[in-house]
Amino acid sequence: MTAQLSTRALIAGYEDRVVLDGLDLDLPGGEFTAIVGPNACGKSTLLRTLARLLKPRSGTVLLDGAAVRDLPTREVARRLAVLPQSPLVPEGVTVAELVARGRQPYQRWWQQWSTSDAEAVREAMALADVDGIADRPVDTLSGGQRQRVWIAMTLAQDTDILLLDEPTTFLDPAHQVEILNLVHRLRSERGRTVVAVLHDLNQAARYADHLVAMRGGAVVAAGPPRTILTVDLVRDVFGLDCLVVPCPASGAPLVVPTWPVTVSPGKDA
Amino acid sequence: MTSATIGRSVVRAGAVTVLVRRRSVMVAGALLVVLAAAVLASLCVGSRYIAPLDVLRALPGDGTPYDVVVRQLRLPRTVLAVVVGAAFGVGGALIQSVSRNPLASPDIIGITQGAGLAATVALTTGAAAALVAPAALAGGLLAAAVVLALGSRHGLAARRFVLAGVAVAVALRSLTEVVMLSADPIDGLRAQIWLIGTLAGRGWTEAAYVAVTLAVLLPVLLWAGWALDSSALDDDTARGLGVRPVARRTGFVVTGVLAAAMATAQVGAVDFVALVAPQVARRLVRAERPPLLCAALVGAVLVVLADLLGRRLFAPTQLPAGVLTAALGGPYLLFLLVRGRRRVL
Ligand SMILES: Nc1ncnc2c1ncn2[C@@H]1O[C@H](COP(=O)(O)OP(=O)(O)OP(=O)(O)O)[C@@H](O)[C@H]1O
Ligand SMILES: [Mg+2]
Repeated sequence: MTAQLSTRALIAGYEDRVVLDGLDLDLPGGEFTAIVGPNACGKSTLLRTLARLLKPRSGTVLLDGAAVRDLPTREVARRLAVLPQSPLVPEGVTVAELVARGRQPYQRWWQQWSTSDAEAVREAMALADVDGIADRPVDTLSGGQRQRVWIAMTLAQDTDILLLDEPTTFLDPAHQVEILNLVHRLRSERGRTVVAVLHDLNQAARYADHLVAMRGGAVVAAGPPRTILTVDLVRDVFGLDCLVVPCPASGAPLVVPTWPVTVSPGKDA
Repeated sequence: MTSATIGRSVVRAGAVTVLVRRRSVMVAGALLVVLAAAVLASLCVGSRYIAPLDVLRALPGDGTPYDVVVRQLRLPRTVLAVVVGAAFGVGGALIQSVSRNPLASPDIIGITQGAGLAATVALTTGAAAALVAPAALAGGLLAAAVVLALGSRHGLAARRFVLAGVAVAVALRSLTEVVMLSADPIDGLRAQIWLIGTLAGRGWTEAAYVAVTLAVLLPVLLWAGWALDSSALDDDTARGLGVRPVARRTGFVVTGVLAAAMATAQVGAVDFVALVAPQVARRLVRAERPPLLCAALVGAVLVVLADLLGRRLFAPTQLPAGVLTAALGGPYLLFLLVRGRRRVL
């Protein structure tokens, strides 16, 4: 069975504001879901709530039908890994050390290392293409290199579900494609469920099986990109006038802003 | 990917598998040698020099002429210096890891000041001498409780916690001054010496209190030596790894406070040890946070040396160990700051 996440009547936010107001969302298991939406619309808040980093005010997050808040946090960490949007880079920690920290959920102080830890760390570093910089301190790396190290750390967690907040930000085009290909492989070869916040609509349309478009803390549309990604949706969500044409390479919908570009700021801007 | 890639060696003992930093092992070994040398020097040197071989012969107490001096005068005080230094080192390392601030230590965040105020009150109100240490312990723990309560509203976030500590420390220090000024000058002087921190006239009893505290905390310290690896991660990342960061931080701080408060209660505020030892250890090991065992060893070396120098430097005038640690620690920290390639703050 593939792992599945959903929310029921989810209300979440911060001290001074409610961001998600009664969200019902199903993220299909074994698929790659891309979340898109304008800045500050609540994508990270949603991801953090799904990953139990943020406690909802009410409502539930369900992991394979069980309320996440009732599960031991270590057990959740073995089933669900999360890459926050901008993690704090610890000083003086090498790449290999940081990736190895992804094994925390499997370790105890009296059981600090096992062969499966070693194997998972090795594989994660190879998949994220950071094995060449294993000995470098993370705080001396470029933004894109750091991003790949964090991705490697979440991969080392060896979970069925991966939640990635803007995994391709900071990456050059080739590494963006590499990460998206990696995500695609994890999903198709290993049946992983991947949920990623992406800003590039065309990448989202090309790679994702399932697209969730958000605006102002609510889901405007959810479904396969080919059915939901339309001119109206883009205007509605981003206030951007565009053409949607089939991508000549993949056939996925391709969003091309009209010329001259006009932007009518969305509700949240 | 083997453990060697992360600079660690796997050590197995029965069902227990631990990772040890390779450099930690080397550094700890070297520090042990230095500590042994410092201890031996401390036993040899005094108002009368005793040769190392004679000291070693006197230790078992089979009636050599030096038995009394070595076993009853110098050994208790030296052992006290070792355990107190270790407690300060461990306490400082834990508090600095949580605050992510090398300037945070028991003497900055109010523990020392709480102990100092309580000790000053005890010393100036004519309380029994036996009450000074318990009062100081209570004062230190109480101050720490206030700091924790103030900091815990924000989950003991690093900056909050340090700010709360500094505020409490300043308030307590001024209160101490008030008490001291309104006291009899002789009592005030005794309080002043207590505040500086000295090992003079103390021995087995004090050492036993600190040693037992460390022994009781040992299981927690073993856990902390591993769990501290998550202290450099932000809370979201740590939670994602199944760690409860606030609970962990509370555990670290409480452990550090207990070790430091007990040591302070026994010998007074031997300044800077808790601050400098973890940083020296961190640099020796080249780790991202102070390593506990090495911090303890550096702390022990520092206090033994400070006490030794205090006794001999201006003999027959005896300087309290706290004067020496402050005098040595301050410049050394400056030296590290100036020389260090890495950002320290
Ligand atoms: N820690 C916080 N405390 C208070 N408000 C916050 C916090 N984090 C985010 N917010 C607010 O919540 C709202 C949603 O933020 P969120 O980070 O979820 O947006 P986002 O969709 O991820 O945006 P972006 O594309 O810029 O990453 C915003 O109005 C933001 O200002
Ligand atoms: Mg975001």
